[in-house]
Amino acid sequence: MRVLNIAATGMEAQQTRVEVISNNLANMSTTAYNARRADFADLHYQQVTRAGTINASDGTVLPAGVQLGLGVRASAVSMKVEQGSLQATGGNLDVALEGRGYLEIQLPSGLSAYTRDGALKRTGDGLIVTADGYPVIPEITIPDETRELTINANGEVYAYFDDQVEAQLLGQFTLVAFSNEKGLEAVGSNNYLETAASGQPLVGEPGTDGLGTFRQGYLEASSVDPVREITELIEAQRGYELNSKVITAADQMLGATTQIR
Amino acid sequence: MDTPGYVALSRQSGLLREMQAVANNIANSSTSGFRREGVIFAEMISAVPVEGGSVAMTTTRARFTSDAQGGLQRTGGTFDLAIEGEGFFMVETPAGMRLTRAGSYGPNVDGELVNPLGHRLLDDGEAPIFIPPDARTIAIAADGTISADGNPAARLGVVRSTDTTALYREDGVLFRPEAPVEAATDAAVLQGFIEKSNVNPVIELTRMIEVQRNYELGQKLMEREDERIRAVTRTLGQASP
Repeated sequence: MRVLNIAATGMEAQQTRVEVISNNLANMSTTAYNARRADFADLHYQQVTRAGTINASDGTVLPAGVQLGLGVRASAVSMKVEQGSLQATGGNLDVALEGRGYLEIQLPSGLSAYTRDGALKRTGDGLIVTADGYPVIPEITIPDETRELTINANGEVYAYFDDQVEAQLLGQFTLVAFSNEKGLEAVGSNNYLETAASGQPLVGEPGTDGLGTFRQGYLEASSVDPVREITELIEAQRGYELNSKVITAADQMLGATTQIR
Repeated sequence: MDTPGYVALSRQSGLLREMQAVANNIANSSTSGFRREGVIFAEMISAVPVEGGSVAMTTTRARFTSDAQGGLQRTGGTFDLAIEGEGFFMVETPAGMRLTRAGSYGPNVDGELVNPLGHRLLDDGEAPIFIPPDARTIAIAADGTISADGNPAARLGVVRSTDTTALYREDGVLFRPEAPVEAATDAAVLQGFIEKSNVNPVIELTRMIEVQRNYELGQKLMEREDERIRAVTRTLGQASP
């Protein structure tokens, strides 16, 4: 009996939705986190009576046949690529990205990863790294005697020294854009990897070619909207209950069938 | 089994199918762009070998698809599109052009708008829609015009079938039109919204209870019929010495 299977696919779909929502809520304070959404699609249809069949009793042609659906499946968990709000932190190595683009970082494996998390740190050697300690590409080193550090909108890093009036340019950050950001593979720690679906990384200067700009002293907040997530959660819970009711009803019908003498 | 048993049986198998349709509607209550479906029962007359007599059985003859507007959910996504009114988006699948109301799209590697299954969204000339990768703002107007940074880039094709019954469901919230399509003139495209499933849980639940009770009723009928035949057999057995 297919009813039980159909209701089971429905429960599974709602559970996937709850999992996505719980991950969103868990990351509601994660820097530069983009909320995800589960999309569903219906499953294959079973042809019971084809349309256009000739009615046996009076010869008329049936305008619409009988098609019965076989349930639901998750078609995608898509990322909502949108700018999160900016939070002032005052940290001179906290940079928020306004607009498109990712910072490129170097993983220990030698591969590049991409992130929008601009909570940067400085190693003992003065190298600018992410919170996990991966160096940002291009590598910029801050000298020990630096008194103050400024990062302008174009990603240029300037250092002020005690013995100099003029600021000294240490280097410039680049930004990387992808033609299909939704195709990036999330690998945790706010990092993404390039995939065949995302396209090649397109490196450019901040503020040009549609790329975003830097804002020092701010961090990009998570784009999770708790109100939306909670309403979705309630919907998913009720959807789950409805599907379980179908299972109960189908079970009782089956029970009745087995009692035929 | 005599005629009453067969009549009840035809009803029972029809009810199981209706239950399957209800279950599918409920399972897809969160599928965006999903259209609720139902089955229509028809009477099937079969003659009985008695002069002037006939017996009515039931059969599932047709399905219907509700074209009621589903609720609109605000997502704020640039390429999340909903249609208000009658009409469908055209997408290109490997099997040909299909219609859909599901509205979650996004640019792929080549800059073409695709749905989560990778099918390309088509414009009013049935060509794929290209989104310039360096565009900072994409605005989609109610008539389907897509503007990139204020310059018109493409126009979404929103169509409707000339024969609303000639739409076949396919997996992935797609409909295969068997009749020609025409431009839907009174449909409005909304950017940043997704049309939810038009399944009404209250109605489905009510139908489900109804189907269940009718099934039990059919069951009772079969049991009574069984008892009747038993009683007849017993009486006949006692009568013969």
